[in-house]
Amino acid sequence: MTIAQAESVTHASRQHKPIPRGFEFRLWWLVVPAFLFFMIFFVIPTASLFGLSFNKSAAGVINLTSNISLDNFVRIFTRESYYQSILRSIGISAVVSIAALFFGYPLAYVVAKTVRPSRASLLMILILSSMQLDMVIRMYGLMVLLGDNGLINGTLIRFGLISAPLPLMYNSFGVVVGLVQITLPFMVLSLIGIIKAIHPSLEEAARSLGSSRWHAFRTIILPLSMPGILAGTLLVFALSMSSYVVPALMGGWKVMVMPIHIYQQIAEVGRWQFGAAIAVVLFVTSIAAVAIYHQAASRTAGGRT
Amino acid sequence: MRDEAAIPLSMKAIAFLTLVILLAPAVIVVLAGLNSGDYLTFPPQGLSLRWVRAFLTSPVFLSAYGVSFLIAFLSMAISTVLGTAAAVYLTRTQGKIPAILRGFFMLPIVLPGVVLGLSLYVFYISSGIGLARTMSGLLIGHVIVTCPFVIATVTAALVGFDRSLEEAARSLGASPFAAFRLITLKIIGPAISAGALFAFIVSFGQFEVTLFLSTPNLQTLPIAMYVSMRYQFEPTAAAAGIFAIVLVVFSTIISSRLVNLRRIFAS
Repeated sequence: MTIAQAESVTHASRQHKPIPRGFEFRLWWLVVPAFLFFMIFFVIPTASLFGLSFNKSAAGVINLTSNISLDNFVRIFTRESYYQSILRSIGISAVVSIAALFFGYPLAYVVAKTVRPSRASLLMILILSSMQLDMVIRMYGLMVLLGDNGLINGTLIRFGLISAPLPLMYNSFGVVVGLVQITLPFMVLSLIGIIKAIHPSLEEAARSLGSSRWHAFRTIILPLSMPGILAGTLLVFALSMSSYVVPALMGGWKVMVMPIHIYQQIAEVGRWQFGAAIAVVLFVTSIAAVAIYHQAASRTAGGRT
Repeated sequence: MRDEAAIPLSMKAIAFLTLVILLAPAVIVVLAGLNSGDYLTFPPQGLSLRWVRAFLTSPVFLSAYGVSFLIAFLSMAISTVLGTAAAVYLTRTQGKIPAILRGFFMLPIVLPGVVLGLSLYVFYISSGIGLARTMSGLLIGHVIVTCPFVIATVTAALVGFDRSLEEAARSLGASPFAAFRLITLKIIGPAISAGALFAFIVSFGQFEVTLFLSTPNLQTLPIAMYVSMRYQFEPTAAAAGIFAIVLVVFSTIISSRLVNLRRIFAS
């Protein structure tokens, strides 16, 4: 390479280092297609559904009118079956969050502490496969397991341990089991990164100073995993609140949670405005629950979040 | 190894139980689909391809599998193009706007699927743009829910990308586009493929958004299985499930070769 060439190279690099304005401008265009697509098919539809919920409910009518009314919301909060379903949705989601944390934390801990790469990636593949598998297929498996003629009841009856099948499905218990199965991978994935980031020497220091393994875990590892625990339980809570397929199949339409009400109002009664109102309440309730929880949790965590 | 030995036994026991909870449903579906009886008992009655054959000759399940595959493929293609382009902008521009947009593009994951499906259905009917009860209408819903996965995966790869490589190519005379195509795209290629695979799988297993958008003539596999489970509960659905499980396991193994899964999903 001659000196002249080398010079022209350094010259060129000096010229290009601040990216020319023309390129910056064109970069902006890259986001336009996705943005427009989201505006037309995500923002406008959800905003108009929100608007529709403020229209008086009329069977079979779907067009937005300018007559604003709070009738739908008054009805939701005064009719027992509707406000009960809000409380039921929140209660079930809270139980699911706790159960998912209880089962998810140890697996996340094991994955985070696994040193051998082949074993760690095997565990990751198992967790991700189970997360990505169609929920309906997984509910099929759970229904075969928990049904009245299912594997558990069938086996227990055959060996004479029980005379009538245990009620494991088509009730709140079945819905909780189904939701825990669906949400566990999300909990595990929210925790792995946080646990992995905790330096092992912290625990070793506590242990060498005479702390028991359980004590070191409770006072060092658990508080430091708080951000992951918060993120995971929030995610699980939101996913449980909004699930339709799990309560529909595992609850057999006997456990009336908000998404089931939405579907019934639309598909069976044809009251679009009222269905839209329940959808708005579902969305707002899950956001509000998340906000309250976040406030409370950040206070107890002493600002560590 | 020392670290693994330090994991308390009770932790290991619960972790094992959790893996069982995660995997048991899929194992049961495979057993039910290969079982010779009408319903699964313990111990199973015997192996048979009876239900697999029933699936392969069932007009309902086979066409639903085809519809799901087609929609998953098309929404993968569209989201990969839209999402990758958006991710390049999001990671290469500083300021408030890209930060806000990054959150904006993740919103469809937060919004309950039933609500999104319902919104689109109401929008299609009331706007009269001819998308109600059509394949395109369903496809649009799937693109909205799969696009965030592509954006998240590609953004994660671009954030860790060393831009001086691209600048080196530029300084050697490559045009901005050539530098991007020859250097950046080659390096983040695996992440794009992984994002595309996630999009495919999310669309293939999508139920809640599809619920309001599908019609009896346009049933995806999850919807067809759901209908069968609510009304007759036949093992043909389990046999169809086996084919879906195989697809998911393969795609996860392939994506684990393409990107570091622990880095993308656990951060």
